[in-house]
Amino acid sequence: MTVRIRFFARFRELLGTDIVVDAPKNKGLSDLVKDVAGKNQEGYDAIFDEKGAFREYVILMQNGKRVETSDAPAIRVAEGDEIAVFPPVAGG
Amino acid sequence: MITIQTEDVDIGKMITAAKQQGTGAIVVFDGIVRDDDIREMELEAYEEVALPELEKIVSEAKKTCNLLSVDIIHRIGRLAVGENILVIVVGAGHREQAYEGSRFIIEAIKAGVPIWKKEIRKDGDRWVPGEHQHGCGAGK
Repeated sequence: MTVRIRFFARFRELLGTDIVVDAPKNKGLSDLVKDVAGKNQEGYDAIFDEKGAFREYVILMQNGKRVETSDAPAIRVAEGDEIAVFPPVAGG
Repeated sequence: MITIQTEDVDIGKMITAAKQQGTGAIVVFDGIVRDDDIREMELEAYEEVALPELEKIVSEAKKTCNLLSVDIIHRIGRLAVGENILVIVVGAGHREQAYEGSRFIIEAIKAGVPIWKKEIRKDGDRWVPGEHQHGCGAGK
């Protein structure tokens, strides 16, 4: 199934943006982001700590809705999902 | 009008357009690229989420602060020192509502709308860290 991952700001610079991945059915949200972020060590380290957990400042969205990073390991992605991963916002 | 755009905006026209029956005060917030020893500012948005978030903030501000009108232009792309980043024009019957609404909106934008700023500095680039939330009634 096809899932789109979008990184923003510093994460985008390290990992790219608008990445389309072919994920197996029932893939976990955390594992999906780890797979993609793992292609760049600096990008991975910016998002995950040494234990493989999301760093506390990371913000996750699934189809435009906020997802708690602590819930992400149990959340399954679905065909056509858009996952967004970004650091704290700083507009204005 | 609530938009995220690269182009600058005519604030005078926004003020004129905001005046309507019952308007007694208009407060303009203009966020500007400050000369903090930077060359330029680069702004990026998750537009598909940022626009609905802005609309939600405006709706809440109108209700909470009893505003008559709110217009927001948030710019993205590369901006030079002195350029407008964010213009918020708030119209209300009285100044208290207009000031309070304007403050509520800017703090809510800074706290929760997915937009990021990077300073393009002479000594290297730096992403601006996020801030914390305030708002109508905050701290009371």
